[in-house]
Formats: sequence, C-alpha cells, structure tokens
Amino acid sequence: MNISFSLLADQFLLNFSYLWLIIIATTIGIIIGAMPGFGSANTIIMLLPFTLAVDVDVAMIFMVSLFVASHMGGGITSILLNIPGNGGSAATCLDGYPMARKGLGQQALVLSFVASTVGGMVTALMSIFLLPYIARLAYYMHSVEMVVILLFGITLIASVASDNMLKGLIAGFLGLLIGAIGADHIYSTPRGTFGFIELYDGVPLIAVLIGVFAISEALIMMEQSSVLSEAGMQMMKRSGWKETWEGVVMSFQRTWHMIWTGIIGLIIGIVPGAGASIAAFVAYQQSRLFSKTPEKYGTGIPEGVIAPESANNGCASGDLIPLLVIGVPGGTTAAVMLIVMTYHGVQLGPRLFIQNPGLGYGVFITMLVAYAVMLFTTLPLTRWVSKLVMIPTPVLAPIIIAFTLVGAFAPRAYMFDLWLTLLFGAIGYLCRRSGYNVVALLIGVILGPMLEANVMRALRISGNDPWVFFSSPVGNILWAALAFSLAIPSIVQWRRRRAAARAAIV
Amino acid sequence: MFNMLNRRQILLAGAGAFAIPMLRGFMRAEAADGFPNKTMQVLIPTGEGGGVDQAARAFNRIWSKYLGANFEYSYFPGASGQVGYEVFVSKREPDAYNILFGNIGPEMIMYATQKVKYKYPEDFTYIGSMDVDDSVIWVAGDSKFKTIGDMVEEGKKREITLSTSRLPHPSTIGALALAEATGMKVRMIPYGGGGPARSAAITGEVDGCATFLSSSLGLGEQARFLTVFNDTNRAPELTGNAPPVNQALGTKIPPMSGQRAIAIHTKAVEAYPDRVKKLSDTFQQVFADPDYKVVAEKAGTPWEFIQYGDAASCRKSAAEFVELAERFRPLLTASKG
Repeated sequence: MNISFSLLADQFLLNFSYLWLIIIATTIGIIIGAMPGFGSANTIIMLLPFTLAVDVDVAMIFMVSLFVASHMGGGITSILLNIPGNGGSAATCLDGYPMARKGLGQQALVLSFVASTVGGMVTALMSIFLLPYIARLAYYMHSVEMVVILLFGITLIASVASDNMLKGLIAGFLGLLIGAIGADHIYSTPRGTFGFIELYDGVPLIAVLIGVFAISEALIMMEQSSVLSEAGMQMMKRSGWKETWEGVVMSFQRTWHMIWTGIIGLIIGIVPGAGASIAAFVAYQQSRLFSKTPEKYGTGIPEGVIAPESANNGCASGDLIPLLVIGVPGGTTAAVMLIVMTYHGVQLGPRLFIQNPGLGYGVFITMLVAYAVMLFTTLPLTRWVSKLVMIPTPVLAPIIIAFTLVGAFAPRAYMFDLWLTLLFGAIGYLCRRSGYNVVALLIGVILGPMLEANVMRALRISGNDPWVFFSSPVGNILWAALAFSLAIPSIVQWRRRRAAARAAIV
Repeated sequence: MFNMLNRRQILLAGAGAFAIPMLRGFMRAEAADGFPNKTMQVLIPTGEGGGVDQAARAFNRIWSKYLGANFEYSYFPGASGQVGYEVFVSKREPDAYNILFGNIGPEMIMYATQKVKYKYPEDFTYIGSMDVDDSVIWVAGDSKFKTIGDMVEEGKKREITLSTSRLPHPSTIGALALAEATGMKVRMIPYGGGGPARSAAITGEVDGCATFLSSSLGLGEQARFLTVFNDTNRAPELTGNAPPVNQALGTKIPPMSGQRAIAIHTKAVEAYPDRVKKLSDTFQQVFADPDYKVVAEKAGTPWEFIQYGDAASCRKSAAEFVELAERFRPLLTASKG
C-alpha cells in the first residue's frame, strides 16, 4: 500500500474537477439522510443506471459523496424535530432537541455539521495514512469483542433513564424484547412474530424510529402551540449570523472531543455488520462518562450533539475499509458500491492498492472534499433551516405525520409497516406521557438484535462455553474498560459526597 | 491517468441511462400487443448487492432486449430467504409479470427445513436457471491448512469451525457430509450474510468458510481454496487448482451446487401458458448473446459457471436438494444443535 504525494494530489485534482457532481451528490445525501426511511443504499440503487454508465472514478465520487452526506443529514431532523433520520442519528436527539427547544437550534445544527465534518475528515485522513494498521483492527474485533462494545451502548439505557431508573430500565428491556422479535440468528426459527411474515426479519427499525419519535412527537406537539419554549421563541426571533458563528466557536472549543469520538466511530465502523447506530450510542456513552458534568447530558449540551454526530461520520470511513481492503462490504451501502465496482471490473482487496491505488485512496480523498464542500454549503443554511421550529405546531405536526408515514412505507412497501408505525406511535406517546424513556426503548430495539446475534455466534463457535467471552486479550481489555466505565460514576459521586462532607465540617 | 468525462458527457450519460431504457420500454410496449406490456417486477429473497442481485441485474440487462420489458427490483431478505418466497407467493399477483430470482439449492433446503406457509411446486415453479455455482471450503491465505486433508486430520482432533452465510445452504450440507464421511468434527457458524461469513474466515474468527465459489473469487490471495464440492473444478486457475472433494479424499459426496434461477407462480403457468413460453424462450436466448458473457463476467460470475437449465432440470435439482435437506435435517434445524 504505497502512498505518494503525487497520487494524493492527483486524486484531489480529480475530485475538484468534479466539484459540481459532489455538490449534487451531497445535496441529495443530506436530504435523504434527513428523511426517515430513505437511506443512502436505496438511493444509490435507484441511481445505478448512472453509476454503471460513467467511469468508475466518477461513480465512486458520486456514491461516496452521497453516502457521507446521508450520515451528516440525519442530525437535522433529530435536532429540530426530535425525529432521527436514521439509526445513526437517534442519539443526537438526546441533547440536540433540548437545545432546539431552548432556542439554540441554530447552534446545535452548526455543532452537528462541524462535528460531522471534523469526525469525517479526521477519520478519512487517518484512513489514508494508517490504512494497513486500521484495517488490521478488523482482525481483532470478533463476536466476543462486539458483545462488549454493544454492552457499552446498552449501559446507556441506565444513563438516559437516570431520572427514573425503574421506568427507564423497563423501557430498555421492552426495547430488547421488541428487538428479539423475528427469526433467530442461527436456525431462522421465528419468534414473537404472531404469524406475520412481515416480522420474520425482525421489527423494522424505521417503523420503530418513526413511530416512537416522529408520530409520538407530533402528537405531543399538537398539545402545545410551539416546539419552542417562550424564551426559545424570543431567541429564535432575534437569531442571525451571530448564532452560526457562536456554533462554530462552540464546536472548535471542543476540537479534541470531536476527534476522539470520531475515532470511536471509525473503529466500530470497521467491524462488518456494526453500524453508525452502535457508534453513535457508544460515543455518547463515552462522552458522558468522561465528562465533568455528566448530569447535564440530556438537557441540551454541545458535547451531547458532537459525540454522536462525529462518531456517526467517523463510522462512514470505517464502513468502507473492509470493502476496500478485504473486499467484503461492511454494510448495505458498501454492498451496493461493490456492485458498481465489480461491474467496472475493479479488483477489491489488497490488490486494489497495488493495481489501482488511486481508486482505493481516492475514496477517502472524496470524503475530505465532500465534507469540506458540505461545511460551506450547510453552515449558511443553518440560519434558515433552524427556523423550521418556529412553524406553529398545528401546521408542523400534520406535515411531520404525512411525510414520515411515507418514509415508513417506502423501504419495504408494506401496508403492515404503516400500521406498525402507528402502533409504535401510540406506544411512544404513552411512554412519554407516563415518564418512560423512549430513547431507552430505542437503544434496546437497535442494539438488542446485534447483541443477541454476537452472543449466539460466540457461544456457537466455542461449543456453548460461556468462558469464550473472556478468552481474548482485546475482549478482556474491553471488559475492564466496561467495568471501569460502570464504576467511575459511583466513584466520582462518592468522592464528591466526601468532599462536600469535608467542606461542611470545615 | 483517468479517462475523465466532461460535464456534458456526464449529463448525457446520466440522461441516457435514465431516458433510453424508459423510451425503449415505452416504444416496445406500444409496438407489442401482448405480453409484456408493462415493467416486470423482480423479487429477490436476499439482500441488495448480494450475489443473486448482481447476477439478476447482469442477466436482465440482456434479457430486456429479447423480452422487450424493463425490470424493477424489490428485496425481501430474512429467515434464509423464507420472507421473500412468502411475500412472492402470498402478496404478488400470479400474472407472469412477477418473477422471483433465487437460488435453487439454498432455498429448497430452506423450504425443507423451515416451517413455511407455501408449497412447492403447487405455489411456484422454477422455469429456468442461469448458472451453476459449486460449494467450496476455503481458509484464510495465512492459514496452517494447506490442503483439505490437513483440515480433515485436524478435525479428527478438535472441532473445526466453518463460517457460512446461512445454515440452509448446500455448502453447509457439503461440509456436514464431509464430516460424516471422514470422521472429522465440524461446526457450522451462520453469519446471516456472505460478507460477514467471508470476513470471519479472513480475520481468523473461524477456521474457514463454506460457501459458493463465485462469491469468494474476488478475495485473491486472502483465501486459499481447499476443495470443491463437485466432480470437477470448473475454475482451476482461479482457485489454486483446488481438488474436487471426492478426488482428494475418496469420498462419495454428491455435487453441492447452487443454481440461480427464476421462478413464477404455478397459477401463472396454468393461466398464461403463452406468457410463460415467451419468458422461457427469451430467457434461453440470452445465453447465446455475446454481450451476456461480458456483463456476467463484470458481475463477478466466471463464464465457466454460466449454464442454461430448463424447467425440468430445475425441478430435478429442487427435488434433489429437498431430499438432501431431509437427510441432514437434525443438523440444520434447532431440533439438534
């Protein structure tokens, strides 16, 4: 994998010559990323006639730009409407929406865009210069290690439910139960499907996302006249370019935060089958863990937006590494890219970087250029896009319901999914009204099936020996880190109590 | 270094890619009085971007010339292909416009080992197959197993783990038959997809991978092919001349191949014999078209694997796989792990 300055310069020039195409692709990507139910994979499939007709370099520029933009776009509706565009941006709702309600939607959007850009660019740069080493990480991240990583994400249930632990845990376990619906991962035996074939592949995530977040949020909105608080409305009325600049400053005051959470995304993204949703939740959990003010998470703080968005975009770089280096797609979008590359006769795997290094490294150069383009195209828009929250809810709520129901129907074209979405809408509404945390429920639904699949696989490989979970050095380090992350809040709390007690004595 | 397109060329390519097929479809629909006068609906019971998807898209590019219709795709993966077949049988009109692109081997094993709501051949019929893809066992390029004999010997001392995309798969049966014939111990680990299964073998989570040959050819030096489950290896130069299993070990394991094939509703066969004839005739014409060789190879299928099979041969193959699945049922289902 030899890399030279001239090779990189060549790729930069190629990408700049297709800047207009990158602008088109990123615009499409941001829009579909923000719309629940419409993903980059579906869109690239629809546009296959184009990508098969043009040169492979051009096709890759288009697909990669669209792919990374869809990761960036997901945060928009999470922040402004509490409706994640995809699983990867669900964690952004936790602090993004509270910021928007306070009238800080514009700053939150800027935080999201800057964090996405920094996370995406840093991980793309790392991928360029450290590719052989990063690709090697996939050799150490197997089912056992994934179990521990997923447990990091699942422990977030307890964190987000800290207001009412019992209700939060009930919601989390309900989510895990819902996530267990569908054919089992080994023998394909259907469980909890009630005979509905539509549930054999599990409960569709989009139906849960739209139901629990969008529909229930729209129902809540109808009970009030505005998404914004009174003070928030006043702030939004006064907002201008200053708020965009404020967001930029807030972001770069947390540069290191953007970088390390992006790296978490990169590492998780490398594992085939792991995705942006795990990366975002784990990054949020880690961000909260190392924060000096963990109690503020969930109330609308910048770190709560930065962590999931940076990780989500870092994951985009990681997602493509197995495709390029091993020749195995890490996710659905990568699988569709594989169709295009195979059609154009591109040999993936280690040989790609010998036979066609320009294409291999070009993918990451495209990411760099696309993120730079997006930052300049999206930042000015934040001033106007953030005004979305000022639309009166009697107008906004029906629009949300109509648009998101289309999104619920689109991926599989089942009427069943519409009914399921409405059912989850009702569940979400009841949860919110009775104090059960819907994010805890969603974490269970998203991470539960992945956890189960990895646990089952690890046990099967070991012949049902439970000690397999402690059989790998990397896994054991991760277990220790997990134990540390579970213990640290109690230790911090104990030290604070002790300090307070000492202060009281003095 | 790059064959760069200018803006106008890109726009033309894009517009052409969208407009020409639409225009051609429209003109043909106007010209033909009968079938097909609308877009064919293709249901794929596995994920987008998978082997069947790639093969179907390559085939249909040429087939559309002879059939005079365009194709629209939908994907219904899940439960080893069961979801797609259930949707096809219960929710698609039996009008010969709805076709299913599947793989006879894995999907008939799934039919025989899972509780499905449809019946074969009462509900659907395979009317033609387009290729024959043999099962193989391969290991990572740096594995200590140099030959299938090495793996069998080791398998007599400890259980060998082999990744597979799904348990109901000819390669799973091949590996289990190999274990039965040689006394080696083997445990199949399903990964729910070809990509993760290949990745697990390359990265060393399992000892090797049992899968179809064509899906692993692109791995290059990362994979070392140990054996092929057929009487001959049809791609020796691409597989390091891996020996056929019976030749290497003196076993009598039947060929374990997959045949990508199209199916339509049996009701459509009965109600619209003319439509089925047109589908079958034009399907067969594709194989004589030199363009098909180009697109098939671009889609990753070596030309040696391309082989036309008629409805009768599909029926025979389906029956053989049901029989094989019945034989290995306890090992393929939850009744015995």
